[in-house]
Amino acid sequence: MLKLEDVSVRFGGLVALNNVSLSVGTNEIVGLVGPNGAGKTTLFNVISGLVKPTSGRILFDTHDLGSMPVYRRARLGIGRTFQIPQPMHELTVRENLVVAQRFGAGKLDSVKIDEILEITGLDDKSERDASSELSLTELKSLEVAKALATAPSLLLLDEVLAGLESVGKRHFMTLLKSLHERFSLGILIIEHDLETIASLCHRVVVLNFGEVIADGTPENVFRDPEVIRSYTGAEHA
Amino acid sequence: MKVMLLRWAVVVLLAYFFVPWLFGANAYLMSLIVASLVIGGVALAWALLGNLGGMISFGHSAFFGVGAYVSALLAINADFPIWLAMVCGGIGALLVSVLMLPTLRLKGPYFAIAILAYAQIFRIIATEWRSLTNGVAGLSSIPSLPAVLWWESGSKISSYLIVVTLVFAFILVYRWVANSHYGLALRAMHESEDATRVVGVNSTLLKAAMLLLSACMTGMIGAFNAHYINFLEPDYAFGGVWIVIPIVAAIFGGYRTIWGPLVGAVVVYLVDQLLFKNIFPSGHQIILGIILVVMILFSPGGLLPLLTVRTRKRTC
Amino acid sequence: MIELVLQALYSGFLQGGSYALIAFGLALVFGTLKIINLAHGELVLLSAYIAYTVESRMDVNPVFAIPFALVLVCLCSVLVYYLLSFIRKDRELNSLILTYGIAIVLTNALLMIWSADVRATTSPWLQEALVFGPLASMRSELIFFLVSLILMGALWWWLARSWYGRAVRAVASNREAAKLMGIDPRLTEILSFVVAGILASFAGVALFSYGVIHPPLGEALTLKAFTITVLAGLGSIPGVMLGSILLGLAEALTVTFASSALQDLVGMILLLIVLFVLPNGLFGVTGGRG
Repeated sequence: MLKLEDVSVRFGGLVALNNVSLSVGTNEIVGLVGPNGAGKTTLFNVISGLVKPTSGRILFDTHDLGSMPVYRRARLGIGRTFQIPQPMHELTVRENLVVAQRFGAGKLDSVKIDEILEITGLDDKSERDASSELSLTELKSLEVAKALATAPSLLLLDEVLAGLESVGKRHFMTLLKSLHERFSLGILIIEHDLETIASLCHRVVVLNFGEVIADGTPENVFRDPEVIRSYTGAEHA
Repeated sequence: MKVMLLRWAVVVLLAYFFVPWLFGANAYLMSLIVASLVIGGVALAWALLGNLGGMISFGHSAFFGVGAYVSALLAINADFPIWLAMVCGGIGALLVSVLMLPTLRLKGPYFAIAILAYAQIFRIIATEWRSLTNGVAGLSSIPSLPAVLWWESGSKISSYLIVVTLVFAFILVYRWVANSHYGLALRAMHESEDATRVVGVNSTLLKAAMLLLSACMTGMIGAFNAHYINFLEPDYAFGGVWIVIPIVAAIFGGYRTIWGPLVGAVVVYLVDQLLFKNIFPSGHQIILGIILVVMILFSPGGLLPLLTVRTRKRTC
Repeated sequence: MIELVLQALYSGFLQGGSYALIAFGLALVFGTLKIINLAHGELVLLSAYIAYTVESRMDVNPVFAIPFALVLVCLCSVLVYYLLSFIRKDRELNSLILTYGIAIVLTNALLMIWSADVRATTSPWLQEALVFGPLASMRSELIFFLVSLILMGALWWWLARSWYGRAVRAVASNREAAKLMGIDPRLTEILSFVVAGILASFAGVALFSYGVIHPPLGEALTLKAFTITVLAGLGSIPGVMLGSILLGLAEALTVTFASSALQDLVGMILLLIVLFVLPNGLFGVTGGRG
């Protein structure tokens, strides 16, 4: 469904991504791991269109995303969350979803919004001001809710679990699994906690210094000595 | 809903029947009212871009001036009916704003300065294109506004009825945009543009639409004004007052509300005309500058919101 | 024909000197505070009117107005800074509106004090023509070009060598890092406003000694200064010099071959072209503005 071919991104002299190729199949959950600064968020920005790749191709279904603007990718079915939650300021939680649904999915369906509010646990917060009256957990839920409201077929989740205590984490993981089943979504998820990745993902891609150093099932990848070295080395550095 | 309708009915009744009936005979008072509505109309158009679109324009004088000149010239040289000329004035201003579209890519101060430069460019063109605009000497005997019902062409009451209709139309447009999903997206864009783009909002198109709409509205008010005062010169039509008053009004009246800019513009204009113009015949606009400085220092969010108790969040 | 071009280039070149003084003041403030002072042109104009008053009241060469201009204009410049320092919310936008308000106050104050009439120097000594081969200029043009060269040289020395100058540069390039090194940004901010005031004082007197002034001129001056700033990229003295001379040349050629009335149009169009087409200016990096 999503296919990246030799995608590179350079900021001035800095190489953020170097010939990255990866794919996410329909109905597949792929974990994206790697130390800080490995280029994970840049990769998300390239897929959602906020950053233009220096070279390489990005294919989504039958579309070549090329220089397609951000909003059109969203309408095609790429939903994303931000690592640092970016609620739409000045709007209530419900209005956030209304905007996402109206512009991203193309038509309004308040039943669907109620449903999304319920499964993300925001149903009693729907009239709160999104930017000032939500806790961090709720903000992360809102990120996911907004992305869902655009009726995506691919969901890019950027550390939606980080910073949550273990109860919240378990809650979120159940949520993701049920979403995955209910909407038959492809999911690409950035996550630091390898246990979470192992229990959630069908496949794992490891990035280091902007390059893919491993791609496979969690069991195989986490046994790869290079992955262990890069990961633990960078974590403890 | 019923209360809303009732309130609107009262406002419309007041505007269309009681004002002309009560004050119609007093030419001085009517001319003040018309001038206030002109300023209020510009402020509303500005607020559409500034408050809804989140873009502070230092260049609305370009739209006002171009609208005025296009309409006046079409009426003088091509015998256009005034109605049509005024619409063309709006279209002329809209075309100017099309030229400004590249500025939408610029950030904060760069956008403001670029718009300021456009305003200067059009003032210089109006001054120097003498064969068309008659230069600094200006245009005189611009055809008057058409008759409305039984009030004759160019009378205070018919002019008033036209401008009040324009302003009502602007209010409806503003409210429609603000209450639509576009209005929601625009509000969200101010501080979280990326967040709106990744859910499918074409933010550039929305901003462009606000710029075009605002320009067209300002141009039509400029056109109205040209036929109302029957005289134009570049320094007046492209004057700084059409830039300053809307900004003062928007800050004075508070962002995000529709009555704020309107009331702000009228109050500021009347205070300037009735009080300070008499005290300082030349340079009385200094007071606009002072108000602007004081407002931005002490209440950048607006004065009316300080006075009213209710929160300003959902009073569009 | 050739003489006309040469003469235009020469005049434009000399004009570039005072433009550099105006532009560098604006650029310095923009560099340290990331704020465009929309009242900057009015400060220059204030100095020009002080020169007019000194000449017409005391009947002396307007050059003697410089000390008065220095005091008054620097005071005003620091006052602008003082007012700006009250702004807390939406700093970028509100400071733009604030300085726009100050510009309106100043323009109208000039109008009230000195009326809307066009003023120019009456000193024959300043207006006397100095001829070098095919090139002619007024004495004032040449004097103030030299003054501007000296001032820009001094400024270059100050920014490169002195401790305060380096602090200003440090804050301009990275405010947070400068703070960590123990530099008080407030001090450098005041300094940049004072220096902008000094440059504006000289520029204003120069403007009066070879040109005509009237109250609405301030906004055009601000826009010209900003044009040069975006042409030059921030904070580079040679860049500002080159940009100023470029603008001077473009204007002089327009006056010679089109019309003096279109002089100001060139600057505006140049500004828009640079903003839309050259994201980094001609001579450097200004940081993203798109």
